[in-house]
Amino acid sequence: MPDEGSESVGFNPGEVIIEHVSNSSIDHPIFELPTVLGINFSVTKHVLMLWIVAVLLFVLITWSTRKYLKQDRPIPTGFMNGLEAVVQFIRDSIVLPNVGKKFVNTWTPLILTFFFFIVTANAFGLIPMFEVLGVVDRFILHTDPESILNRMLHGGATATGNYNVTAALALITFLAIIVAGTKAHGFIQHWKNVVPSGLAWPVYIMLIPIELMGMLVKPFALTMRLAANMMGGHIAILAILSFVFIFSEMFQSVLAGVGVGLVVSLPLVVGVSALEIIIVLVQAYVFSLLTAVFIGMAINVHH
Amino acid sequence: MENLHYFGAAIGLGLIVIGAGLGIGRFTAAAAESIARQPAAADKIIAAVNLPLFLLEGVAILAEVFVLLIVLTK
Repeated sequence: MPDEGSESVGFNPGEVIIEHVSNSSIDHPIFELPTVLGINFSVTKHVLMLWIVAVLLFVLITWSTRKYLKQDRPIPTGFMNGLEAVVQFIRDSIVLPNVGKKFVNTWTPLILTFFFFIVTANAFGLIPMFEVLGVVDRFILHTDPESILNRMLHGGATATGNYNVTAALALITFLAIIVAGTKAHGFIQHWKNVVPSGLAWPVYIMLIPIELMGMLVKPFALTMRLAANMMGGHIAILAILSFVFIFSEMFQSVLAGVGVGLVVSLPLVVGVSALEIIIVLVQAYVFSLLTAVFIGMAINVHH
Repeated sequence: MENLHYFGAAIGLGLIVIGAGLGIGRFTAAAAESIARQPAAADKIIAAVNLPLFLLEGVAILAEVFVLLIVLTK
């Protein structure tokens, strides 16, 4: 993108935005880990966020469920109440209508895992933890620029904004579809169910590539939908906030930039952030719903 | 002339917005009308409209990502 001033270092909005949503660089990982079989296992920021989300979810849910089960009469209170409501909602309106009564208990754990993981991972991107840490580090702690704290600040915090993460989740969906069809109909019959039976044979030559491509496109669409939704929200927020810097550079005064920021940027960003909260919940719901629909399509074949 | 891809990206983005707006508008109009005809089936209608709505939104966002790809990686 063309930048403003050519003598001094101008404000390059494209660069700043991309730096704030993408993963931290693999050359400056947070923890250095060895390279096994050509895969560099060093911990980058998105990996760190995945760990934090996983540990938090695990601790939260197992602790509250154990406390609930240890009671004399299992009456849910507080957080467990909300958790139970969500689990019931997912089981009764997402998994049950799509998968059918026979396999509900087989596939509900997977759909629940997807839902809670994606909601939490998305929501962590909205909490400006690392920006607060950066401010604390800059004005109070003054750690070394190569310290772990500083290396944690590069890059964006939304793990599910990275298409690699969502591709891994979609890969699980892909495998789950195959496993569901195999469990319901047997391995060979599942692959035979891909195309409808009883058609004239020349139709199959055209139909089999189309169906196979459809099998691959569905997880790909899941990947890109989740990643693009998350990244798009953050890019929109950062682009609106860049108005402050663009205007202050254009008019060469801080007051112009801050004024534009207060009048234009701040209300818009608040609005977009509210929309982001809705999108966080909806995208988790859509991912889980589509996984349940695809698994249901593999189990109840109705061409 | 070498900045022509910005032009294309902007036009593409406008077309995406038109497409998504038209599609979602039609969905919502059909849903509202059918709820008006039969308020008892409101839950089922909303459940039926939910999924394609977000699929369409996903298509729009996918297309936006490709447009961003044009703009940012010339």
